[in-house]
Amino acid sequence: MTERGKKQLPFRLLLVALLFVLTAGLGYAVLTLPSQAPGLSNPVVANLEASGVSNPVTAVLLNFRAYDTLLELGVLLLALFGVWSLAAVPECRESPPGPVLDGLSRLLVPWLILVAGYLLWAGAHAPGGAFQAGSVLAAAGVLLLLTGWRLDTRFSGLPLRMSLVAGLGVFVVVAVVLILMGGRLLEYPPSFAGALILLIEAAATLSIGMTLAALFLGARPEAGP
Amino acid sequence: MSDIHWPVIVILLPLAGGVACFLWPRRSVLLGLLTALGVVACVAGLGWQVVEQGAQRYAVGGWGAPLGIDLYADGLSLLMLTVTAVVGLGISVYSSGYFERARYGQDRARHFWPVWMFLWTALNALFLSADIFNLYVTLELLGLAAVVLVALAGGADAVSGAMRYLLVSLLGSLFYLLGVALLYHSFGSVDIAILAERVEPSPAVWAAMGLMIAGLLLKTALFPLHFWLPSAHASAPAPVSALLSALVVKASFYILLRLWLEIFPFANAALAQLLGLLGAAAVFWGGFQALRQTRLKMLIAYSTVAQLGYLFLAFPLASITGWTGALYMLLSHAAAKTAMFMAAGNTLYFGGHDRIADLDRAVQRMPLTMTAFALAGISIMGLPPSGGFIAKWLLLEAAIRSGQWWWGGVLILGGLLSAAWVFKVVGYAFTRSEAPHEARAVPATMEWTALLMAVLAILLGLFAPWLLALLEIGSPFNRENAG
Repeated sequence: MTERGKKQLPFRLLLVALLFVLTAGLGYAVLTLPSQAPGLSNPVVANLEASGVSNPVTAVLLNFRAYDTLLELGVLLLALFGVWSLAAVPECRESPPGPVLDGLSRLLVPWLILVAGYLLWAGAHAPGGAFQAGSVLAAAGVLLLLTGWRLDTRFSGLPLRMSLVAGLGVFVVVAVVLILMGGRLLEYPPSFAGALILLIEAAATLSIGMTLAALFLGARPEAGP
Repeated sequence: MSDIHWPVIVILLPLAGGVACFLWPRRSVLLGLLTALGVVACVAGLGWQVVEQGAQRYAVGGWGAPLGIDLYADGLSLLMLTVTAVVGLGISVYSSGYFERARYGQDRARHFWPVWMFLWTALNALFLSADIFNLYVTLELLGLAAVVLVALAGGADAVSGAMRYLLVSLLGSLFYLLGVALLYHSFGSVDIAILAERVEPSPAVWAAMGLMIAGLLLKTALFPLHFWLPSAHASAPAPVSALLSALVVKASFYILLRLWLEIFPFANAALAQLLGLLGAAAVFWGGFQALRQTRLKMLIAYSTVAQLGYLFLAFPLASITGWTGALYMLLSHAAAKTAMFMAAGNTLYFGGHDRIADLDRAVQRMPLTMTAFALAGISIMGLPPSGGFIAKWLLLEAAIRSGQWWWGGVLILGGLLSAAWVFKVVGYAFTRSEAPHEARAVPATMEWTALLMAVLAILLGLFAPWLLALLEIGSPFNRENAG
C-alpha cells in the first residue's frame, strides 16, 4: 500500500461504516413500507377513456403528466447543447467499413426505421411510444455513422437543428395553440387527444433519434449555412 | 387580463427563446435579450395577478392533483421569480457585452444563450411547481444547464470543475428522487399540498426526509458539503459565476424550504439546530477562507459559502421573522453577489487576471466597477441601509425573540469577517502594483450593469416593507409549528 493509501485508510473505513449504516437504514425503511401501495393506478384507469390512448404508460407520459415529458425533452436537448459546446469540429479518421458492417447496415437500417415506426404507432395501445421508437431510430443512426456516413453539409445547419428541436417545438406549439383555443396548458380536447398525442410523439421520435445519434457522434457537425 | 395564463407563459417563453437562440445562432444575442425583456414583463404580469387575486393554483392539463401536475404561485414563489427576473435581465445585458467581445468570441456566445435560456426556464418552472416529482425534473434541467455553462469557460480548470459539479449535482438529484419514491409509495401522491395533508411520521418518511434534505444540502453547498462550489463558481465565465451564486444554489434552498414547511413540519428541533450549526460553521469557514484567497473570483466564491450559511440560521429560529430574514438575505445576496462577480469579470477583462495583490489602481482606471464592488460589499457586510442589513436585522430580532441570542453573535462575527475581505480588496484597488500590466477598455454595458446591480442591493434596504408584504401572500410560513 502506498503512503497516501495508508493515510486515507481511516477515512475509507469511516466511509464504509457510514455507507453500511445508510444501507441498513434504507433497507429497514423499505421493509416497513406497506406492501399494498395506494398509488395512482386507479385514477389513471378511471381517466384512461378521456386520455385518447389505451396504454396507461403513454397516457401518463403524454397526457396526465405531459408537462414533465415536455421538460424532459428539454433535458435531452440540453445534453446535446452541452456536448456541442465542448467539442468543436470532429476529427474523423475512419477506415471504410468492413464487409460485415457494410452488409449488416444495409440490411438493418431499413428494418430499424420500420420498427421505430411500428413502436411509435403501437404506443397508443401497447408498450411502445416516442422514447422507445426514438431509441431504435437512434440505433439506425449510430449504425450509419459507424459505416462512415455523414449528413450532407447542406443539411447539417438549420435543417439538422430544426429536426433536433422538432419534438420540443411541436410540444410547445401544441401547448400554445390549446391555450389560445381557451384550454389550460396541455389540456387536450378528448376527441382530438389521440391525434395530438400521435403528432407530438411522431415529432418527438424524430428528435430523440436524431439527438441520441448526434450525442454518439460527440461533436457538432461541420457548420452548414 | 386576469384570465391570461401567466404561470405558463413565464415557463414557456424562455424555453421558446432558448430554442430560437439555438436555431438562429447568429441572432442569439438579440433573441436572448428580447426574451429576457419578455420574461421580466411576464413575471410582472404574474405578480400583478398574484397581488390582485391572491395565491394561484393552476392544474396543468385540467386534471388536477393527484393525477396531474399543479403549478402554484404564492408570495414566496413570486419573490423568487422576481429576483430571478431582475438578476436574469442584468446578467443577459452583461453577457451581451461579455461574450461578444471578450476572449470568448462569437463561438462561445452561440452556446451561452440557448443554455442560459433553458436554465431560466428551469428556475421559473422550479419556483412555480407544486409537485415533488416535477421539481425533480426541473432540478435535472437546472443542474445540467449549470454544468454546461461552467464548462463554457474552456480549459482544464473549468472542465474539471464542471465535471465535479456534474457528479455532485447528479448525486444530490438521485438522493432527492429516492425520497420522492418513498413518499409516493407511502402516500400515493407527489403533490405537495396532498402530501402535507396525508403525511405522518414513519420510518419511510424519516428516510425520505433524510435523503431529500441531504441531497438538497449538497446542491445548496451548505458547509461541509460546499467542497465543489468554489472551483465550479470561480472557474466559470463571470456572468455564469454570477448566475450560479445568485440563483442556482438558491433554487435547491427554495425546495428545501418548501419541503421543510409543508411536508416535514414534524422535523424535530435537533435537526433544525444541526442545520443552524452547519450554517454558522459555513459563515465562519467561508469567511475565513475568503480572507485567505489570492484570486478575486475564488474569494467571492468562498464568500458565497459563507452567505449561504446565513440562510440556514432561520431553521433553529423557526419564526416568521426568521424565515423572512433568511429570504431577505437570499434576495440581497443575489443582487450583491451578481454585482461582485460582474465587477470581478470586469477586472479580469480589463487586466487579463484576477490576482487581488495586482489590482493596480483599479479605482482610478475603472471607477464604476470598483464602486459597484464596494457597494455590493456594503450589502454583504450588512451595513445600513442595504438589503443585507435588513436581512441581518430580521434574523437578529428573531434570534433575540426566541431566546437564542448566540445566533446573533454569528451574524455580527460573520459581518466582521466579510468586512475584512472587502477592505482588503478595496485596499489593493487603490495601490499601485509592482508589476504594471497591459489593460484594455471594458464595454460600458458591463460596467454599468455591475453598478446597477450593486445599487439595487443597497436599495433593497429601502424597499423592505413593500417586499415583506409581498411575501405574506398565501402565507407560506403560517403552517409551521413555532410562531
